[in-house]
Amino acid sequence: MTDTQQPPPVDLSWKAMTIQWGTRAPVRKGAGLTLGAINVGAYAEVPDYWQDRTRSPRGAYNPTGAAAASIGGYYLRHKSDLWADNAAELYEEAISRRWSSADSIPWDTCRGLAEDVEVAVCQVSTELSQQASIEAEVISGWQQQMSYGFHEVKVFLATETFDAARHFEVFRKRALLNGGGLGLESPGEVNRWLLESRGGWTETVALLYLLRGLFTRTIYRYLAAYAPSPVEMLIGRRAAQDKTRHLAYALHHLRYAANHVQGMGDHLNAGLAQAELVSARDEKDPVLWESLACFFGGGVRHMDSGMTIVRSMRRRYVQDYLQHLGWIGIQHQRMLAPNFKAVLED
Amino acid sequence: MAVADDVFASYREYGREQGYDLRWLERRDVWGEGVSPRSRAGVLLQDVDHGLAAEVPDESRNLTGRPRGALPRSGVARVGNYPVRTKADVWLRNGAELYEEAVARQWSSATDIPWQAITSLPDDIERAECQLATFITEIEFVAGDVPGKWIAAITPDYYEPRMFLLSQVMDEARHLDVFRKRALVNGGGLMRRTGNPQVVGAVIDSARDFTEMSARLHISGEGAVLTLFRMGELMAYNDAEKHIYRLCAQDESRHVAFGVMHLQYLGSVETDRREEIQSYLDDAELALVTGASGQNPVARGLPSNAALAILLGGGEANVDDGYNTLLAIRQRQVKEYVQRVRVAGFGERFENGRANPMLEQYVQAH
Repeated sequence: MTDTQQPPPVDLSWKAMTIQWGTRAPVRKGAGLTLGAINVGAYAEVPDYWQDRTRSPRGAYNPTGAAAASIGGYYLRHKSDLWADNAAELYEEAISRRWSSADSIPWDTCRGLAEDVEVAVCQVSTELSQQASIEAEVISGWQQQMSYGFHEVKVFLATETFDAARHFEVFRKRALLNGGGLGLESPGEVNRWLLESRGGWTETVALLYLLRGLFTRTIYRYLAAYAPSPVEMLIGRRAAQDKTRHLAYALHHLRYAANHVQGMGDHLNAGLAQAELVSARDEKDPVLWESLACFFGGGVRHMDSGMTIVRSMRRRYVQDYLQHLGWIGIQHQRMLAPNFKAVLED
Repeated sequence: MAVADDVFASYREYGREQGYDLRWLERRDVWGEGVSPRSRAGVLLQDVDHGLAAEVPDESRNLTGRPRGALPRSGVARVGNYPVRTKADVWLRNGAELYEEAVARQWSSATDIPWQAITSLPDDIERAECQLATFITEIEFVAGDVPGKWIAAITPDYYEPRMFLLSQVMDEARHLDVFRKRALVNGGGLMRRTGNPQVVGAVIDSARDFTEMSARLHISGEGAVLTLFRMGELMAYNDAEKHIYRLCAQDESRHVAFGVMHLQYLGSVETDRREEIQSYLDDAELALVTGASGQNPVARGLPSNAALAILLGGGEANVDDGYNTLLAIRQRQVKEYVQRVRVAGFGERFENGRANPMLEQYVQAH
């Protein structure tokens, strides 16, 4: 039967089907109507466990009271699997701070760099572009496992993968802008570890954001600080701003998980120590360090001073790493892998 | 930036004397071929690739996740499980352009919708708005979760479609969010969920081939929703709702364009797959004419259908008028579908009897 035939009697039974009527979310001057602001009354109740494996919106009326038939996926159903209290705010912040690599960067201001500096910038850009690509792969592979009871996290992560797309292309554009071209691919051990992390989203978050994301943000900040032109400075600043938002989700989620899942803190502590050892293989590769040293120092002939800055950058990363873990409630200093300890002592 | 190779040789010689490796310090194939920003648009993705970076292989052997054009290294683990590594399976000619358009046209559901323009509505209208918004909230992120699953399956050698799909996931997050906001802003609330797997897009989830998924999602599902959003003026009761439909339609147009352009590319380069694609369109048409996909808010049997009739009629008392308008929307959905399939290069099905005969009933109905 098609809709061209005589319609059946109209069923308006849905008109009474709501768990709460009379909801008026506040519209705020300047901020408008935010995702956090619509969490009012019954719609603000985020359950500890979401039994449904469909796309039913949280707070929609369920006429049977039973879970609907599964449509596959949506295995992350415990709040502690993915939740962060700040997800709704971070989602809106991501949208309000959106930028475009096409026209937010003064591309014409980085012409005429020395050849060695140009190639170094291209090599660093290649590495960062690949990191962003892997980040998008990792997160988008998990999206469909995340239940609709926690839609704030799902939509925030949609902004993050979109940010990752922008980071992928802004560094690609930079590498190709002056004819330097893309450089060598990443040695890829940490990439592999991230992609193979399937134990749980929380474990993946620890690796993706603390082991990798914090490191990436540290590089972004140093790019901005030692940029040879306004282009790299602005890219570094904007990308670091995005990455800080991503880290804010991770920190709140990891703290929530550590506080709500018995043994999670110890589990993460041990898992990160293992991952640090894996990253040692990437650390032995000289390509990233040397190209950063050339970038920071201002050329091959100044790489010694550039390498001093690289060492400082790596030390800063490990210090931040321990500090962030401490904020989550994980005292990691004694578990730190030898390669990370060595960076602190360098 | 024309520079002789020996400049790099002298850098390397100096660096190696200092104990550096410097294997990365090489002149690339594109050396000296810079890119000029466009005067207003800036540097666009479609303008930057040249040399190796612009070579899109018909079959990708990139299993290490390297960006297209980056230089491979021996000893790198095969980290990528990329089942989609045949160009025709996922490619389209304007992927980079669609991505850049998506970036340029992002909007905020918090501040780009004039929420203050919403005033109290009659109870039957508000309930219909809320039921429609609940349904759309339920279906919109189908188009977020499902492309998400495919992104990690596509080799980075085809980064343009991957990037577009990432922009689509972002768009769908905003659509989920803007309709949820609409349901909760004006004295109403969320209403009945559907909860039926067929009614929440499981048929899209289950597609085993990217093109099959795209036909179901972009051509059939989002195509039908696009038609509805384009006619949003008819069911909007204030400027806020008009803005929502307009902005969502703009996004959906891009998503549908992706599906059409992908089908067009595949159909032109892999002619032996045309019959297979026609079978996907058979399914898409069946879903379109019967509403069996469950993604079409207009389709009969769904609460959103009755809600739309109330909105289009101007109230419960005029629901029959609403159904007449709804039939016109159904007819337009069919006509636009036919046009998209023709643009995609599969229009012969409308001449050779392959197309679903019920399409014609819609065309003649109103």
